[in-house]
Amino acid sequence: MKRLQDVEPQQTEDLYYPTMCKVTRAKQITEMEKWYELEMPDGKSLGHHPGQFVEVSAFGIGEAPISVSSSPSKKGTFELCIRQVGTLTNVLKNYEPGDLMGIRGPFGKGFPMEKLFGKDILVIAGGIGLVPLRSLINYVIDNRQDFGRLIILYGAKTPAELLFTDELKAWETRDDVELHVTVDQPDASWKGHTGVITTLIPALDLKLNSTIAAVTGPPIMYKFVVMSLKSKQLPDDQIYLSLERRMKCGVGKCGHCQINGVYCCQDGPVFNYVDLKPLEEAL
Amino acid sequence: MECFSLLRSDVPALINHLGKYGELIAPHKKGDVSYSFEVVHDSNEVVLDYNRTLLPLKKMFLPPVEKLMDFSLKELSYDKVEVAITPRVFFGVHSYEMQSILRLDHSMLSGSAESNYFRRRQSSRFVGISFTPDEFHFSESVGILIEEMEGFDLFLNEVDGDFQLYVLSDHGQEMLDGFEKMAITEPEVVEGRVFKKKIRYHFNRLPRVFQYAYHSPVWAEVASRCVGCGACTLTCPTCFCFDVQDEVTVTAEDGLRQRSWDSCMLSTFAEVAGGENFREKTINRTRHRLFRKFKYITDEEGLPWCVGCGRCTAFCPAGISLPDIVNELIQEDEKAQYHRSARV
Repeated sequence: MKRLQDVEPQQTEDLYYPTMCKVTRAKQITEMEKWYELEMPDGKSLGHHPGQFVEVSAFGIGEAPISVSSSPSKKGTFELCIRQVGTLTNVLKNYEPGDLMGIRGPFGKGFPMEKLFGKDILVIAGGIGLVPLRSLINYVIDNRQDFGRLIILYGAKTPAELLFTDELKAWETRDDVELHVTVDQPDASWKGHTGVITTLIPALDLKLNSTIAAVTGPPIMYKFVVMSLKSKQLPDDQIYLSLERRMKCGVGKCGHCQINGVYCCQDGPVFNYVDLKPLEEAL
Repeated sequence: MECFSLLRSDVPALINHLGKYGELIAPHKKGDVSYSFEVVHDSNEVVLDYNRTLLPLKKMFLPPVEKLMDFSLKELSYDKVEVAITPRVFFGVHSYEMQSILRLDHSMLSGSAESNYFRRRQSSRFVGISFTPDEFHFSESVGILIEEMEGFDLFLNEVDGDFQLYVLSDHGQEMLDGFEKMAITEPEVVEGRVFKKKIRYHFNRLPRVFQYAYHSPVWAEVASRCVGCGACTLTCPTCFCFDVQDEVTVTAEDGLRQRSWDSCMLSTFAEVAGGENFREKTINRTRHRLFRKFKYITDEEGLPWCVGCGRCTAFCPAGISLPDIVNELIQEDEKAQYHRSARV
């Protein structure tokens, strides 16, 4: 148990003050999602790992946890992609280049890159789950020689909801990236795969001993993806999932993001599936 | 450790003396049946015999509403809030309350150590007082005796209507400098202060009960009576969850960001934008509260995170009793074991 006398004043922190970051570029990329490029003051680097999140704030509105979407290998700026789904995010919709966004973080545990080096990386992204996984994908692409295969499964509800379509095209043309995109509800022009994301899994030819799966999507998706991966005989400890919770403070205090006894903002948002299995509230 | 005898009639003089050391805060009567920790203006108004204050002492370290910053919407800038380090003396604190502060220390200072909490805590001194358990206190069941003195600088133990004053730290010694009304005495053991409310098992057996309690039928029964008001967590001395809100002035030019106490018992506590609610049902929330007190932190730190003050039970509008829930879990666990043994 931590005692008061164990703590020196200089070890304490002002935990709740944001750094004001300037939006350098911004673009509404779908009806619901806007992409932002931001820079820290004084040319500082955000210093994040793929899978980590920041607390974004607008004065007068509040704060919300948002995944970092750019790879740490991209220096000078970082990127967010925000779905307009709540009070804050609907205000952020109006942010344009030159505007200042409050940022705290990065927070939490991202993907354990040291365990991913040399492995085949199987990315499974449902909907907006591509946003944090894009950080991992681009990190792997920027350090391509350090990893085995890069397999990306990406599912969206409709073709119009597909994110980062330019990047999807670029990934598709690379012969060192295996990209499989599917939509649940195709439109007349859709020529690709149709069906939920788990329908892409059975056909995969995986090297079971050297494949790491990185999964992010809506809460409903996890159980089914995990089931499909298990039926492929992928060992549990090679599956990483990034969970969404209400990470209000980001520093393990406010209690909102707790999954049983675990703080999602501290021990997650990226978890090894083995660590989630005993948590009844997790999946 | 020195022990002095102190007449009850000399306690106001002691309170006045302690007031020289720092801002004095002590229990006062509030309304007909309630007590509250308030700043002392007249030492005669300080209550020496009380069962429990409505709000716990945490309100002095984690204020119910606390400003985090002032911001300017025009400049898009903010000013930090500096918590001044001023000495405070908390007088008349019960042992379970002190134990709750020691638990809050862990919650706020482990991992990222929060500066505001630290500053308030660092400059605080505590003078304990013994109490007579009422029908709600059960701190003995969670390992906290009436005369538990950990964390205190001074402690007043009532003996036959008067007091024995224990000096427990250098700060305590310093606070008494110049106070002449006492004579050194031999510490006495006080008999007969009995807890009426009890958890049936010793607290070191509870981790095993909670290990198997997740799917107990007890939760549904408790949830059927719970109205989800959050009074239990609001009055809990070791609950520390909070929410953060921004407020803007009428000119819409500036405003403030503040945090306020929140409760995992409220229905929207675990809800995210878009409507997904990760603890939607009352049964999930009642269980979460008890697991927060007896399992999650306890598994890590070895201590119940409940201090047995009885507030959550005394102030529950639906009459839900925390020790009764634990006793029912024990009973269900025994039943399950009985059936298991019948199968062998």
